[in-house]
Amino acid sequence: MTLAWGDAIARVRRAGSWLGASPGRVALAWAAATFVALALLAGSPGISRDEAVVLTEADAALRGPGAIAETVARPVPPLASEIATATHAPLSRLGIGHVRAARIGTVLFAALLSAALVLLAWELWGRTAALLAPALFWAVPRHLHAGLVATPDLALAALWVATVLAYRRAAGAPEASVRRRSALQAGLFFGLALAARADAWILLPLLAAHAALARARRLEVRAGAAEPRLGHVRSVLVAMAVLGPLVLVALWPWLWVSPLATAALAFTPHPVAPWGHSARVTLFAIPATVLLAYAAGAAHAAVRLIRSARRREAGASDDALVLLCAAGPFAAAALGIAPAAGGIRPWLHAMPFLALLAARTLLACARIAWPARSAPLAASLAVLVLWPSLRAIGHFHPTGSSAWNELAGGAPGAASLGLERQDGGDAAAAALAEVNARARDGARIFWPGSAPAAVRAFARDGRLRPDLAVADSPDDADLAVVTLDGTGSRDPEYRTWSAFRTARPAAGVYLDEVPLVLVYARPGAWR
Amino acid sequence: MSELRVLRDRAVAAARERLAGALRDSVRSTRAAVTWAWVHRPPLARAVAVLLAAAVAVASAASILFQARLPARLPTPLDWAAAHALLDRDARPGDAVAVTPPWAERAREILPASVAVLAQRHYAGEDLVGVRRVWVLSLAEAPRFTWEVELELLERASRSETPLRIGSLEVTRYDVAFPTLPAAFLPDRLGRAAVSIGDVRCFHSAETRFLCGGGAVEVERSVRDVGGVPRPCVTVTAPAGLGAAIVIEFPAGRIGRTLYGHAGPAGTERGGPVHVAVVLDGEEIGSAEVPVEAWIPFRVDMTRVAGAVKPISLVITSPGPLGVCLDAMVLP
Repeated sequence: MTLAWGDAIARVRRAGSWLGASPGRVALAWAAATFVALALLAGSPGISRDEAVVLTEADAALRGPGAIAETVARPVPPLASEIATATHAPLSRLGIGHVRAARIGTVLFAALLSAALVLLAWELWGRTAALLAPALFWAVPRHLHAGLVATPDLALAALWVATVLAYRRAAGAPEASVRRRSALQAGLFFGLALAARADAWILLPLLAAHAALARARRLEVRAGAAEPRLGHVRSVLVAMAVLGPLVLVALWPWLWVSPLATAALAFTPHPVAPWGHSARVTLFAIPATVLLAYAAGAAHAAVRLIRSARRREAGASDDALVLLCAAGPFAAAALGIAPAAGGIRPWLHAMPFLALLAARTLLACARIAWPARSAPLAASLAVLVLWPSLRAIGHFHPTGSSAWNELAGGAPGAASLGLERQDGGDAAAAALAEVNARARDGARIFWPGSAPAAVRAFARDGRLRPDLAVADSPDDADLAVVTLDGTGSRDPEYRTWSAFRTARPAAGVYLDEVPLVLVYARPGAWR
Repeated sequence: MSELRVLRDRAVAAARERLAGALRDSVRSTRAAVTWAWVHRPPLARAVAVLLAAAVAVASAASILFQARLPARLPTPLDWAAAHALLDRDARPGDAVAVTPPWAERAREILPASVAVLAQRHYAGEDLVGVRRVWVLSLAEAPRFTWEVELELLERASRSETPLRIGSLEVTRYDVAFPTLPAAFLPDRLGRAAVSIGDVRCFHSAETRFLCGGGAVEVERSVRDVGGVPRPCVTVTAPAGLGAAIVIEFPAGRIGRTLYGHAGPAGTERGGPVHVAVVLDGEEIGSAEVPVEAWIPFRVDMTRVAGAVKPISLVITSPGPLGVCLDAMVLP
């Protein structure tokens, strides 16, 4: 028995060594693990109003009579809906639920993000950082949630990382063929990123700023890689500037009809959020230990950058690149360039770079604090950072958009601070089981806060009883399923009180006592 | 005597010397320790790394502790059931429950339906119409809990009892010093009112709803969100404007000294300002011009007709499009 165990352990070790010997294999393993885990979890989260727009584009059956009224005020880049359409059509025929099938597109981008993050981390700071960085990204409830829904934020994050990886290779690879191929890849990924979200354009000036900074401050890339020459950097930036818009035009038929009007609408700045909004939300949304690691990573990189700029040490170019890519999305959100979405979604694509920096800093911390025992210390630090976050994922899933950290005081503390409780009514899904069990036959339900397409998607997937009808107002309804976001008006709910002559809910969905959904019923409509 | 003094002085001098010596020794040893620590100090990078590792360990332990303790800081189903039983037994007509923090709205689902549940962030300046006693139900151990609600209610309480602990819930009863007890809350009488615009009677389309001018103007008893608080009121919505004065004639009741009311925007609808006149037997008793912003109070003096039992009419005019939530009560 002991021999058998020993043999098995030895085999696992050999397999681990084989797997960990090549960046490609590690990237593939992370991508596969990400895909499997997220594909399994993708059916459970609710549908926010933003996601409902994507699902409506992907699935014609979700377009109701008021489909035109449900469309958004400005044109939305097409990638999220196109990838959802591409996965929905074949997978739903295989018996996979419609919502899950449409979300598999995001799951594919999640796998791409893991792989790109591994490759970038490996090239920047070696194998251990490559193993740790994706874990530091995915161990955040809101990041995981973004990987489970069909909104374009995770796709943008994946393409953002992939573009930066290709840019770095195109700028620094010794072989001309690799540089050419990487420049083309950078252009293609950048175009896809533009097709995911219009604010992706800021990546081009960010990378141009990096190139200018590297040249002006004479920052060098780390030893072993070729120094980026201005010509190489220029060629990759030109490739991005040319290929990016071409890919966007090719993917977005709206631009064929009225290119200027559509582009003007899509790229118009959004309302500017209050000063410090993104920092405040990030402070309270990322689990405390991960937040500490991210902050330490950013500070570490900033110190290295300043020191390198003064002393002209090696490696500062990469620090500048990663810091710029992490800071850019926050600046875009503060300036109103990024769309005004819930939680950390507007600047989600900064997070993989913060995870990269955190991985490097934790490993450096272990190496410097206790050189003789750096490996066990690094493993311990990783566990200390990741374990509370994994517990938080277990606690908040599938309402990951309602996750707030220990500094906020969890969901109760966040509710006291007036932070939003959910993203666009997505918690309504949590009330479906009780509604199915207790609503009287043929009841008409008023759904304030939930997108009509989301309700149709629930019914289409069998998560909502088919005999239940949708009511347009509380006056016509027998039941009302009211989602509470904690920030907006509750007028439809109060009108329901008036129509139903009661302020007493028949049921509710609570997260740590904070109400996310309240169900009201007329007498006799609730069994 | 002098010998004693000499002995005492010697003892004091010896003690002082010994104390000074001890102090010198401790200063010397401290200095040596500090010097040793300074000489053997770790490099800055290592010190920072050690501090970071320690910070990660502390943050991790604190996070797990927070997560593990959170359920115990929040009420259990048993706590809620006990609060229900308490209020079911002790609550009287005119009682209300104020939950704090205001998001603790499970109280609406659990507590007896006979007790109104208030879930507001602030109570300063609130009339609390018809409320004589307030039971404050606190989740005092919830993260980021504050005593703001208690302090605001304490300012207007004539008496309060010591808090009663029910698991994680804390229940305190306050008697309101000057309760607002109206003789009539007019929105509740809309169902028996007659509504007209110009001289044309409006269609009584539902129990508490009237449609005027072919649906261009709607008058309804409703509850609307005004400034984040549910306000029971009469809503008058006229997206294209009223055109003529709208008259709401409420059934006869005893006239008090004051008509007291508020006006605010009905949900997202805006408009105004609104002019409200009080009419008895075709004679205008008084009027008020109220901007439709926030929840603005107005008051009309009716002392000269107080005590009479008559139908009371509100005549509402507004220059432009209107969406107003209007409450009015007759105070004795």
